[in-house]
Amino acid sequence: MSAKEKKVKAPKQKVNWKVYIKRYWQLYALLLLPMVYLLIFKYIPMKYILIAFKKYSIVKPIGEMPWAANHGMQYFIQAFSNNDFKNALRNTVVLNLLDLVIGFPIPIIFALILNELPFRKFKKTVQTIAYMPHFLSWVIIYGLAIQLFTPTNGLINMFIERMGGEAIHFLDDPVKWVGTYIFLGVWQSFGWNSIVYLAAIAGISPELYEAASVDGANRFEKMWHITLPGIRGTIVTLLVMALGNILGSGFDRPFALQNNLVMKYAEVISTFVYKHGIKGLQFSLTTAVGLFQSVVGVFFLLFANWLARKLGERGIW
Amino acid sequence: MKKKVLSVLLTSAMVMSMAACGSTDAATDTTAATDTTATTDTTVQADTTETEPAVVSELTDGKFAETRHITVEVYDRGNDGGSDPTNNMYTEYIKKGMLEDHNVEVEFVAVPRWTEVDEINNLLAAGTAPDICVTYSYPTIQTYAGMGGVLDMKDYVKDYESELTHLWSWLGEANIYWDQDINDGTLWAIEGKRANPRRILTFIRQDWLDALNLKAPTTKAEFYDTICAFRDNADTLLGKDAKKMVPFSVSYDVGWRAALLIESEISPSITDKEYYVNGFDDRKLTENGTKEAIRTLNKWYNEGLLWKDFALYGSGDATEDDMMKAGYVGAFQHNWDYPFRNGDDSIQANLKRLVGDNAKYVAVDCFENSAGQTLKFGISEAGDRKIFFPSTNDEPLASMLYLDWISDPEHIEYLQKGDEGVTHNVLPDGAIEIIAAEGDAIMNSGQNIDYTITCNGLHFSDDALTSLSMAHSYAGVDPADVETAIKLSMTNPRYEKNVKVAPISAEDGMGEALSSKRDVVYDTALAASADAFDATWDSAIADYLSSGGQAIIDERTSAWEAVYGSSESLPE
Repeated sequence: MSAKEKKVKAPKQKVNWKVYIKRYWQLYALLLLPMVYLLIFKYIPMKYILIAFKKYSIVKPIGEMPWAANHGMQYFIQAFSNNDFKNALRNTVVLNLLDLVIGFPIPIIFALILNELPFRKFKKTVQTIAYMPHFLSWVIIYGLAIQLFTPTNGLINMFIERMGGEAIHFLDDPVKWVGTYIFLGVWQSFGWNSIVYLAAIAGISPELYEAASVDGANRFEKMWHITLPGIRGTIVTLLVMALGNILGSGFDRPFALQNNLVMKYAEVISTFVYKHGIKGLQFSLTTAVGLFQSVVGVFFLLFANWLARKLGERGIW
Repeated sequence: MKKKVLSVLLTSAMVMSMAACGSTDAATDTTAATDTTATTDTTVQADTTETEPAVVSELTDGKFAETRHITVEVYDRGNDGGSDPTNNMYTEYIKKGMLEDHNVEVEFVAVPRWTEVDEINNLLAAGTAPDICVTYSYPTIQTYAGMGGVLDMKDYVKDYESELTHLWSWLGEANIYWDQDINDGTLWAIEGKRANPRRILTFIRQDWLDALNLKAPTTKAEFYDTICAFRDNADTLLGKDAKKMVPFSVSYDVGWRAALLIESEISPSITDKEYYVNGFDDRKLTENGTKEAIRTLNKWYNEGLLWKDFALYGSGDATEDDMMKAGYVGAFQHNWDYPFRNGDDSIQANLKRLVGDNAKYVAVDCFENSAGQTLKFGISEAGDRKIFFPSTNDEPLASMLYLDWISDPEHIEYLQKGDEGVTHNVLPDGAIEIIAAEGDAIMNSGQNIDYTITCNGLHFSDDALTSLSMAHSYAGVDPADVETAIKLSMTNPRYEKNVKVAPISAEDGMGEALSSKRDVVYDTALAASADAFDATWDSAIADYLSSGGQAIIDERTSAWEAVYGSSESLPE
């Protein structure tokens, strides 16, 4: 590695960057498109972050809105003295951590198992079936959940009652709801998330396996010593990204699945923002919440990346 | 080496996109705002013309010289097989009339009925709200007014008075000025009028009562015995569907769907002041007897008398209606004409089709308070839909003319009865009988109230005809059943009074947050186990109060005292 770096460094001082642009301008031109996209849709709108520090009005341009009280920090103070927000923050972290702990390893395990399957056709079929839920919207999944899990008419509960058991409140008991939430999340995404691992596994040189076979390694040993280390980089990269999203959360999944009886555990930041911002018209408050969420997210990302590098992986940059 | 630079660039692009990913939430929060700021410039222009006094001269014989264009909100109820709310026989009638009478082009904008507040919020924030907006939620209007997003109607109703004869004679001072600010006189909305101020009733399955040889309940205790009898005889009443029986159905919106029970626990001697101070929540969450009412419901829930899945279906979900239609529900409380609405698709009609000719719901009146009266709270000609103009409305005069046109008793009459032979028959005694219509002529809302925005309830140009026709105004429903409901929904009415105090700033922006919290309080307490009821209710209420409920109560108290002093009741 270090020898290679030296090699690169030496000529770098001589060659001007303009040369690269001139020589590879087609590639840079290609890069321009996503850059423009980011600029227009991600960076320019960032000026509206100011709303978090101002008293929002629908009719005034952002520059003319008056500053919020307490040196513009009014809404941050308000958010952190708001029980609902604190509650939503806690739920977001807990649900995301559970998702991470339970949901992260499953696609890896699935990919490993799938990789070991010798029958091509069967493998393809399993793979396709596992991907499918990814394409269902959460509203539809909630519809399915209602059919399966409601206490009176849900299929599963009817079955349990036939067997002499008592209906389980999968959807309206707060603790069981968390279980259902995590389960449905994993079910929906594990197949899709395994794609990237399967791709990484496909990239491992077959020679390594052949060599291991010659050395007398069994299947499990090959998996442990070749496949897993082979996809380690991918795992770490995805873990870093998942950690960066620990305070973020999709909107549709919690929103579609929550109901009044489980709100204590089901309200997350995104639904809080929807309820208080879009529905409750408290735009400044919820922008403050969103900003807080993003800033914490960036810190998590930086931390996870630093950790990844410490562990000897490449991280994401 | 070139690769290195390229990869640096690529990775930096990736880093940027990562950072951007992290901030998408902030960005999406503000996108709505982005749109609005873009449209503000045009909005402000609209404001500048608003106070010219001689605007009425724009009209000759009530008509504009040049054709004007306005947009009007109309609810989309998403009825099965309903007509297109923005384009049907009735919209054509309005469009044609407005063009002929005032040279104003009307365009309808559909807003989903059950998520109307969300939708209106979005439209307002995006600057694309219709010129004439309608909502049941005054806090929404107030919040936007506070941001400068709503036109002050004070001058329009006064300056154009001579052009607005129908509006004035129909709504009168009371409804027009109902929401006027007592301090600065601003008027953000005018209240549509209830021609028929009935509110809520209890319905029970007549055929089940008959099958079990029971009389219609007349007291709370009898009601309880009746629903217990339904539960205990489920096998007789429903056969193999016995398990699906819900003796008394309450949805997630407990405050409305058990309103008569809740109101029966309110002390009969409650003062105007106490009623007002706790009145921000229209589901009476903090009134003095609500906890006891919910305790009763909690008991019923735990005894298997209520619907176990009630909390899983949100606003606008048709599951519960379908259960009523399929005949699984013994009793429920809802709008006084709820089972009769929607013509062929009404609950009553479906019940008849699916269960049998004698299957039907009848109204009963059995929730008495401690004084033995079955009070009907909140009876009022106001308090229906509120009409307001967003600041993007640049045709205030044309919009006011629309309100006037739609308040003309003749126009109301046509919209409510349609054409003879298509939507109504004339009975021998002259009464108008509404019949089930087809295609374009289907009324998506009872009596077409979605179009008669200033009028809710049957209102023909002739009062005698109105009362004669009322029982016949529900297609396919036995007039005798409607008559019972008409009678029982007005026993012991308690009229809503207009408390005129300064606007309550603590209410700003709290409407949605508190009403969703209120539903959580109701739902969790209702579904708690019996011994956990007190703890559940008390902690949920404490949370409600600390999240802004108490601040509103306190401000309402001081606002009351500022106007009415130490008096506990309103001046007569």
